[in-house]
Amino acid sequence: MSTPFLNPKHRLLRRTVRAFCEKELRPIAGQIDQEARFPWEVVEKMARLGYFGIQAPVDLGGAGLDAVSYAVIIEEVSRVSAAIGLCLSVHNSVALYPIVAFGTPEQHRRWVPDLAGGKKIGAFCLTEPNVGSDAGAVAATAVPTPDGWLVNANKVFVTNGGIADICLVFARTDPSAGRKGISVIVAERGSKGFVVGDLEDLCGMRANPVSSIRLYDCTVPKDNLLGSPGQGLAIGMAALDTGRIGIAAQALGIAQACLEEGVRYANQRQQFGVLLARHQAIQMMIADMATQVEASRMMVYRAAALKDQGMPVGLAAAQAKLFASEAACTVSDLAVQIHGGYGYSKAYAVERYYRDARVTRIYEGTSEVHRLVIAREVLNG
Amino acid sequence: MSLNSIVCIKSVVLSAPDGVGRRTPQNSDLNPFDRPALEAALRIKASLGGSVTALTMGPAVSIEALAEAQAMGVDGAVLINDPSLAGSDTLVTSRVLAAAIGRLTPYGFVFFGTRSADSDTGQVGPQTAALLGVPFVSGVKQMQPASDDWDITRRMDEWEEVWRVRLPAAVSIHPMAFSPRPIPLAGIAQAHDHMKVQSWSLADLGLPADRVGLAGSPTRVANLKKVKRQRTCRMLDGEPREQVEALVAYLGTKGLMGS
Ligand SMILES: Cc1cc2nc3c(=O)[nH]c(=O)nc-3n(C[C@H](O)[C@H](O)[C@H](O)COP(=O)(O)OP(=O)(O)OC[C@H]3O[C@@H](n4cnc5c(N)ncnc54)[C@H](O)[C@@H]3O)c2cc1C
Repeated sequence: MSTPFLNPKHRLLRRTVRAFCEKELRPIAGQIDQEARFPWEVVEKMARLGYFGIQAPVDLGGAGLDAVSYAVIIEEVSRVSAAIGLCLSVHNSVALYPIVAFGTPEQHRRWVPDLAGGKKIGAFCLTEPNVGSDAGAVAATAVPTPDGWLVNANKVFVTNGGIADICLVFARTDPSAGRKGISVIVAERGSKGFVVGDLEDLCGMRANPVSSIRLYDCTVPKDNLLGSPGQGLAIGMAALDTGRIGIAAQALGIAQACLEEGVRYANQRQQFGVLLARHQAIQMMIADMATQVEASRMMVYRAAALKDQGMPVGLAAAQAKLFASEAACTVSDLAVQIHGGYGYSKAYAVERYYRDARVTRIYEGTSEVHRLVIAREVLNG
Repeated sequence: MSLNSIVCIKSVVLSAPDGVGRRTPQNSDLNPFDRPALEAALRIKASLGGSVTALTMGPAVSIEALAEAQAMGVDGAVLINDPSLAGSDTLVTSRVLAAAIGRLTPYGFVFFGTRSADSDTGQVGPQTAALLGVPFVSGVKQMQPASDDWDITRRMDEWEEVWRVRLPAAVSIHPMAFSPRPIPLAGIAQAHDHMKVQSWSLADLGLPADRVGLAGSPTRVANLKKVKRQRTCRMLDGEPREQVEALVAYLGTKGLMGS
């Protein structure tokens, strides 16, 4: 894989992360998927090495890396275990990043060092049973009281939900203000009324403890409001702009893994007296896979590079997320096809990649919603 | 007691299609045998204080190997890069390294990997030590200060030897002995954003051009080709126990398994 955009820092980063993941995650990646187990033993090592504060400022305990580095890290982790890539992507870009970007210095001191050091895990709680793509319809409420915010929320599909300590909860603070009446309240696990629901029994990403989080008359300190009242959706959208780079990088990592497995198998299995790789039908698949992977990579790194240059990144990130997630599904499908029946068996990793790839078209905005966003930008300029 | 160490590292080529190993960034990496050497030096620094300097001779791409050493935690990095060094063999490499080490005094230990992943001679460490006139212990797995001296344990197959040496000394580190630390992400950002590599040319070392490069090298690579090893398969028969015994005996005669 030749990547002309990467500078020496990114190359060292890729080698370092790849070596770590091969050593620590590869041996357990299939097993944690099957057991739906969050691998604390590896996650704690990652935390010490800075994986939970990739872009957070150094003076707040982060690694101080740029967005391209972030994309490289998520890609490499997801290449081995997409579920752990998901954990990092959500923690770094939609939990920690909004606190860094919108928090007060006091909020930085309270939350960023613990999050960046991985001592606490973050989550992003927007989706509700009846609120998915239409984020403006949030029904959760946060009512100001003399003691702080009285929050009632039923949040579902919370990535990292089962282990999260610090949750960004989208709740309505002004019932009459529609989309402008939603705010972000930071709720901490352990507060009275903070309940972690059952884990979802997912198709893929099974090592991530995705769960519901419910707040029943939970009183949250007044200072836990992130940004200003009514700024919730704006914060959410800003977070998702970065988040999309993470999910796109995750899809890229899965697709890369599928390509590697496809090539490996094609060079090993014989049918009709020759290697699969000698059959033209298989060669066509490999060519399509390699091209999709490389195109995804260009789009992901481009979006990240734009962000590093301080350019608007919304459109590029949305396009990267749409393209890379669709590509990951195509490529994983082809990887299974190359493996034949074995690709449909848990004996081979592509079976897991196939399941993991599927959700990248759904979360942090479905492909359909991304097309809406892209079309709006392209049509309105 | 604090101790300054120098670790000689190499940026190796990863592949040589058509017999040519191109020194591009994509095709280069820090010699894996040097990571344990860096680790050993950093551990001594952690327990005794002092400094660790990474030293490499090579083309500009070797900066990336120095950056990795910095990300691991070394204090200083020196690159010896000069067009006239192209084609240097192990003797010249040792001559150049010894000249550079002469400028990095005072030092206690010079560390080497046991060998390089792309040339595999294992000559540079001992040759450099000989040129410096310091004792050299190879395949080291443990280093203990012992009053004025150091006890250095080296590993060879199933044996261990302990040597007592007086500093300055040079060692090559057994590849299995010091498991290199995983690199923290912040270290990578630090290493690149605050790169502090000193770049030295031949003139800085006071070496004439005819003593280095192809001109100064008594040996040169005449040809490089990939060999494909023939794989053979031998079926063992008999009861499982007999098969296991035959296999163990075979591995024993090949020296692949201890008795
Ligand atoms: C594993 C996993 C992890 C998740 N993690 C999180 C998390 O951490 N935090 C969080 O808040 N949420 C999370 N989600 C929720 C995820 O973001 C939502 O599932 C997603 O936004 C879609 O919402 P929905 O499932 O309600 O689908 P719906 O919005 O009901 O959509 C159903 C279908 O209708 C389409 N559709 C909807 N509206 C339109 C429209 N206007 N035009 C065209 N088509 C449309 C959709 O594209 C989709 O195909 C997670 C989901 C999963 C599966």
